[in-house]
Amino acid sequence: MFRWDVVWQYLFSGLFFNAAWTTLWISVVAQFAGVVIGLFLALMRMSRFSWLNWPAAGYIWLFRGSPLLVQVLILFDGIPEMFPSGEASKILTPVVCVLIAFSLNEGAYMAEIIRAGITSVDAGQMEAAKSLGMRYSLAMRRIVLPQAARVIVPPLGNEFNNMLKTTSIASVIGLLELTGTAQVYGSQAFVTFEMLIVATFWYLVLTTGWGYIQSWIENSMDPNRTGKAEIIEKKGWTRRMVGFDSSRSFQSPQAGRGTSIPRS
Amino acid sequence: MSGTTTNSGSMVRGENIVKRFGNLTVLNGVDLLVKRGQVVVIIGPSGSGKTTLLRCINHLEKIDGGSIYVDGELVGYREKKGRLVEDTDTNIARIRSKIGFVFQRFNLFPHKTALENIIEAPIHVLHEPKDVVIERARTLLDKVGLADKADSYPHKLSGGQQQRVAIARALAMNPKLMLFDEATSALDPELVGEVLKVMRQLAEEGMTMVVVTHEMGFARDVADHVVFMDKAVIVEQGPPEQLFDHAENERTRDFLGIIR
Repeated sequence: MFRWDVVWQYLFSGLFFNAAWTTLWISVVAQFAGVVIGLFLALMRMSRFSWLNWPAAGYIWLFRGSPLLVQVLILFDGIPEMFPSGEASKILTPVVCVLIAFSLNEGAYMAEIIRAGITSVDAGQMEAAKSLGMRYSLAMRRIVLPQAARVIVPPLGNEFNNMLKTTSIASVIGLLELTGTAQVYGSQAFVTFEMLIVATFWYLVLTTGWGYIQSWIENSMDPNRTGKAEIIEKKGWTRRMVGFDSSRSFQSPQAGRGTSIPRS
Repeated sequence: MSGTTTNSGSMVRGENIVKRFGNLTVLNGVDLLVKRGQVVVIIGPSGSGKTTLLRCINHLEKIDGGSIYVDGELVGYREKKGRLVEDTDTNIARIRSKIGFVFQRFNLFPHKTALENIIEAPIHVLHEPKDVVIERARTLLDKVGLADKADSYPHKLSGGQQQRVAIARALAMNPKLMLFDEATSALDPELVGEVLKVMRQLAEEGMTMVVVTHEMGFARDVADHVVFMDKAVIVEQGPPEQLFDHAENERTRDFLGIIR
């Protein structure tokens, strides 16, 4: 018998507020670290020095080629076994393990996204910056990366949406984020299903909220400045979240799937 | 500074420059001398190596042999235990900051306005105060006839306007030498004149310039010295009157005959 009263009782409880907060801050920290790691990996990958190239390629190969769940378990269960004194397990608490594993893993994915973004910027931009006496780092920071950001931000937003949900993996090592909380408290009172519904509600709150923020960020990046306004569509949150855009659906027959409306 | 100071009269001195792309030799032992205040125009058919030569002068291309001195300093390389090795990023950047470069395709920064394009390097490379730089940028925009376009983004400007902003951007660094790489080749015919006018004015003011161009009228009027390149070497060079009217070499005469 499905107990709606349990769902209502827990929907806005402090228990799930805290769980949602845990999910959120772990996601934000891991994503931020992932972007930083990814930026360095991307620059290493693109370097003309092979001694920078290979370690980055190896890193990306390793973390993209193995499951995140296994990486978390290796950190939490595997590494402490190598140090029987118990020091390692004191440092490697569930939160620390999750943050490390998620950051390292995300870095590998962000590296490819950032590399694609940098590659999309015309080589003439770097040359122009260099010819004005800019060092590589200054040219990257002031000229290339701001232009690459336009290409990087949309997939970055999708990565973060994924991150919010993938943190559920942390529940296997006992971290009480949304999924973990639902499982632990649900199984105690035989209301697992109800609790998972509550958790789902909160995941949707987080991802929907992020959908709004992502739309706002992308729209505020003003594609007009690049002269590429025609190929960058403004995306409403419905397009982002559900795959269609309510504000567009009744416009014109040409405004179908995959077409964009040139803005003048 | 550097122990390799050369004849103080020369701004650029290239000796026996060799450049290869894979198996293809693009520059095969080229010597180039540009005196201070001189306007040197390099002409020649496509693929003759003239653009590559220009790009070697500010080390946008590495060279495989020979040496290039700009303002008495060796460009792109330094001596280490008796051998030449590539110079540090910082050192190359410092030398480049004295050399203005104007690209065929403008390469303005699309995320910055005309004014922001111009003030970027003086502020972040030369670390000059912002108000001083903005003042200078406005003067330069006025000079190239675009005072009213300071706040326009590049894609709102015509090709000729973009190229004039690009020239102003290079001039904002107070360069000792300006390099022009087919600065009018990407422009619609009716826009060529406005860019050439700015270049002409610069030449009159005494700027040292190396210009790669297909504009023979400009070469004849403005150049102090014309260099004709073909097949990776300098075939003939001299004052414009000599080259255009009394070319000695068969290839030079052919080229000028065809182009006219």
